[in-house]
Amino acid sequence: MSLIQTKLTVNGYTHSLLVNADETLLFTLREQLYLTGTKEGCNQGSCGSCTVLINGKPVLSCMTPTLRCANKKITTIEGISGGETLHLVQKYLVSDGGLQCGFCTPGVVMTAVPYLEENPDVNRKEIKESLSGNLCRCTGYKKIIDAVENASKEMKK
Amino acid sequence: MGYYHTPSSIEDALSIADKYNDNYTFFAGGTDIQIYRKQKLDLNEHIIDLSLINNINTISMKNGTLSLGAMATLDEIFVSKKIQNNFPLIAKSVNSVATPVLRKTATIGGNLLVKNRCTFYNQSKGWRDSIGSCLRDVGDICQVTGGKDDCYARNVSDAATALIALNAKAVLTSLNGVEHRLVKDLYLPCGIKSHNLSKGTILTQIHLSLSPVKWWYKKLRLRKTLDFTSLTVAATVNKTGIVRVCLNGASMSPILIKESLDLLTLELLIKQARKHCKAVDNDLMPLKYRKQMINVFLEECWETISQKDTRTQSSK
Repeated sequence: MSLIQTKLTVNGYTHSLLVNADETLLFTLREQLYLTGTKEGCNQGSCGSCTVLINGKPVLSCMTPTLRCANKKITTIEGISGGETLHLVQKYLVSDGGLQCGFCTPGVVMTAVPYLEENPDVNRKEIKESLSGNLCRCTGYKKIIDAVENASKEMKK
Repeated sequence: MGYYHTPSSIEDALSIADKYNDNYTFFAGGTDIQIYRKQKLDLNEHIIDLSLINNINTISMKNGTLSLGAMATLDEIFVSKKIQNNFPLIAKSVNSVATPVLRKTATIGGNLLVKNRCTFYNQSKGWRDSIGSCLRDVGDICQVTGGKDDCYARNVSDAATALIALNAKAVLTSLNGVEHRLVKDLYLPCGIKSHNLSKGTILTQIHLSLSPVKWWYKKLRLRKTLDFTSLTVAATVNKTGIVRVCLNGASMSPILIKESLDLLTLELLIKQARKHCKAVDNDLMPLKYRKQMINVFLEECWETISQKDTRTQSSK
């Protein structure tokens, strides 16, 4: 197996890494950079819990080869808040009870944040559609949708 | 195992493919092929990533002809005003694929050339080994039919269904040159070799012209956003009254029924679809139900395309 050297910029920090051709971004983030906030769920693009941002666009890190991410700006759940201040989506997920076990939460946040930034005027139906690729086995979704809806209202202010 | 190539031009990509003979895999969006690699269904050593190639992800319209770059993502196609205004059937079909996040990565070219699927093949290596594998893998028999000759894996491309109904053409590039071919001719009625493409060929563009006066589209699946299609039907009627109905997910290749609206009846439409359908029990939905749904979809479709109103649609 031949390892290939690459540089990844994650949450503002550039890392020089050796990866193999088949390595996914999810594996690199969790096993090489120890950024374990990004979760491995189904590992086949169905559950959304591994969502991260590449150049501001949400992608499933379990489906993305690490070598495709060279020279791109990667943001994980660890880089979404402003230091000690939670992002509004995170804040409302906490206050509205939009999480129970929390496993799907990083994926929900990383999907909702770019969506709300791109679409400030969203209704509940559109929020549901945008989060349709994020599976949650605990909450029944209602409180997640409530939280994202409340975050969108506050972001518009 | 593995080497990762990032060519910056089609010529470079074709040269790399030529150099490594059959031991390579083209990566477009990668959302489907990545699972094949994880499940050890694609063992090629060389990955050729097409994402850095310029000019094959553009969407343009000139003199009524739409050109779709094969690397345009399904989301880029869906949000394009050119497509929403002139080809709503394409917008509807790409928006019915997978999830909003996956559609930002998955490409139209990748969806057109998605590999055929079967519940006995698209599984982990351990699962496949436990049942003795199948004809398409390393086994001797088809696990669905018990036969030794034919594989019935289904074509599940939603974009193909819409583009065939629209009579789109594909632009294929190889070291031998550029070839224009109807999208419907990209497919073979075989579960194993499902695409009529020689090795070292890249789908670069899709061209189509003349928006239909009527269209209809519907997709059947167990769980929205999670599952591949169990049955997709797309239909168009053009200005001269030619009906094109395409069914996919029901057979090894898309089924096209083309007839003048004056001559076509619902009974004839269903009869033609049944005649060409080679469905077997290799989907999450039971075979009997899927066959019944062909009638249901075609009845709904017929209601729309046989009406005198223009530009009506339906979807699921």
